[in-house]
Amino acid sequence: MRRRIKFHLPRSWNLILFLGFGLFLLIVTALTIPVQATPSYQGNKTSNDFCLACHQQEGVNITLGSESLPVTINPTLFGLSVHAEEGIACVDCHKNISAYPHPAVKETSVRAFSLAYNESCRECHEDQSSTIKDSVHQKAISEGKENAPLCSDCHNPHTQTRVIGTESGKLTIAARLHVPQTCAQCHSDKYEQYKASVHGKALTEEGNLDVPTCTDCHGVHKISDPTTASFRNSTPALCANCHTDPKIMDKYGISTKVLDTYVADFHGTTVKLFAEQFPDQPTNKAVCTDCHGVHDISKVDNPQTGIAIRENLLVKCQRCHPDATANFPGAWLSHYEPSPQHSPIVYYVTLFYKIMIPSIIGGMVFFIITDIYRRTVNRAKGVKHA
Amino acid sequence: MSSQPRTYLRFSLSRRIEHIGLMLSFVILASTGLPQKYPSSKISVFILQALGGIENLRSIHHFMSILVMFAVIYHLLVMGYKVFVLRTPWSMMLSLQDVKDGIQALLYNLGFAKTYPKMGRYTFEEKFEYWAFVWGYTIMGITGFIMWNPITATRYLPGEFVPAAKAAHGGEAVLAVLAIIVWHMYGVNIKHYNRSMFTGKITEEEMVHEHPKELEDIQAGGANRVLDAATLRKRQRFFYPIAAILTVAMLAGVYGYVTAEETALTTIPPISTTVESPLQTLQP
Repeated sequence: MRRRIKFHLPRSWNLILFLGFGLFLLIVTALTIPVQATPSYQGNKTSNDFCLACHQQEGVNITLGSESLPVTINPTLFGLSVHAEEGIACVDCHKNISAYPHPAVKETSVRAFSLAYNESCRECHEDQSSTIKDSVHQKAISEGKENAPLCSDCHNPHTQTRVIGTESGKLTIAARLHVPQTCAQCHSDKYEQYKASVHGKALTEEGNLDVPTCTDCHGVHKISDPTTASFRNSTPALCANCHTDPKIMDKYGISTKVLDTYVADFHGTTVKLFAEQFPDQPTNKAVCTDCHGVHDISKVDNPQTGIAIRENLLVKCQRCHPDATANFPGAWLSHYEPSPQHSPIVYYVTLFYKIMIPSIIGGMVFFIITDIYRRTVNRAKGVKHA
Repeated sequence: MSSQPRTYLRFSLSRRIEHIGLMLSFVILASTGLPQKYPSSKISVFILQALGGIENLRSIHHFMSILVMFAVIYHLLVMGYKVFVLRTPWSMMLSLQDVKDGIQALLYNLGFAKTYPKMGRYTFEEKFEYWAFVWGYTIMGITGFIMWNPITATRYLPGEFVPAAKAAHGGEAVLAVLAIIVWHMYGVNIKHYNRSMFTGKITEEEMVHEHPKELEDIQAGGANRVLDAATLRKRQRFFYPIAAILTVAMLAGVYGYVTAEETALTTIPPISTTVESPLQTLQP
């Protein structure tokens, strides 16, 4: 919703029709809500209808210091919200208001006003409020960064629809598809990269539910700082969550050996050991995102950016190995297990040792057994050995 | 005649020091190398944690390999002096006789031959082990170089040689460790406890059993061959300058080996992108 000044409102038939339709929807919604599920409307509590009588009017503003806050509530959107669905009353959150005129607001800015209301979410959403305490966002709030997101920045309490399906117990499809736009409010450049990436394109254009949305990698309320060593060290495990799952990968013909082949390589071995033994210590060995990108992951066979193309991969190698030349990317087996088709030299060297080690050691053991046998026989016969 | 059994000097002090150095470096290289090949094993995890992580482990492995390179140079110089200046018989050289000896020993053990082969200063078992080391350390040196300096190596070789070198280095390591455990341990500790590599001495009885030809040679006066001073000086005058040039070249080789690449990588700069990029439209 945009801020609008009362006097500039276009008073047209369209608007009347719109409001009328909104009212109609509200009535329909209200009628479909069973009475017994709406305890908040009962008793002597101030009803939502009472509040909306004024607050549904366009252009209602309050003044906070030098700022103006629109306090219009769209009755249609509110009616569709999960709070309306659950029968939450306006006064459940706006506790200090029960009649008109309202008590004076002491906050002197819109942000301070929102911040003051942030704690009221905790009353019903205890789990989310406590998990958020460990998040990077909460840290920013504690540091006094006033633009750091409050509950209401991601979940507008007047319009937020249900995010967890009542039957599935999981994030609804609509909510899942909406996540990137929520994050984009503050992280719009990441959103632009994501939207163009293989994951983001599939989600935003095709509504693909297999691809990760922001929260799949970053978490929901407990969003950790993605620039730390421990986040970096845990990257392979994070990507492997989906990329080793044949239920997801088989559909797209993507190998599920990506983690195993990475760990078998020098970089992967090191990062795995760091993740297991010293997760908080930084390592400069490449993780998934160093070659594939973070929000801008593209298909490996993309002609411009795909790293299945040697020249594109070399650019990635050179980020850490600036002197690397054309042959250097070949040192990485591109997530293939050595075979006569892919990396035949590695395959045959490995095969050579697979044959040689048992043959040579077996030969030695055989000779030693004959030696022990002869010594035992000689001793039994009383013959001097050799 | 005293009651003490007669002994012969089998290994001079410098040989014994070389052996101790080789033994220690082998153990350290194996115990810092194999955890890199098998990082998930419990023993590897124990070693890794004891040494303070993979980066420390790699540093120790690299440092030990430099010591081995110096030891190899020393060994080559000593062998060169013996072979070209003293002209002592090249007793470690492989010959067809060693194959025959090996076959005869096996046939004897199985009961198909009447006698055990009579061997000289080094038995076929010892020669096999020595040359296995020469082969193994050559492979380790070359593949180690490729892994230590992958950027330099891939200027001249296909990239695939790097993982191939890793596979060969690991395979050769397993082969060497198993060979030492099986062959060396049986040959010098179990068959009978042979202390000559530490005491330097070997008894006459052991000589009769294991190195009868060498004993015959010693008894025939072979050990008393004296080199006249003039010939020695003449040969030394040739050997020393050549050895000096080769030493410098080999040391330069070691220097190049270790420093061809400053490191294989420059550290990735920490992520420093702007996190915030708010949209202009604000929610009410």
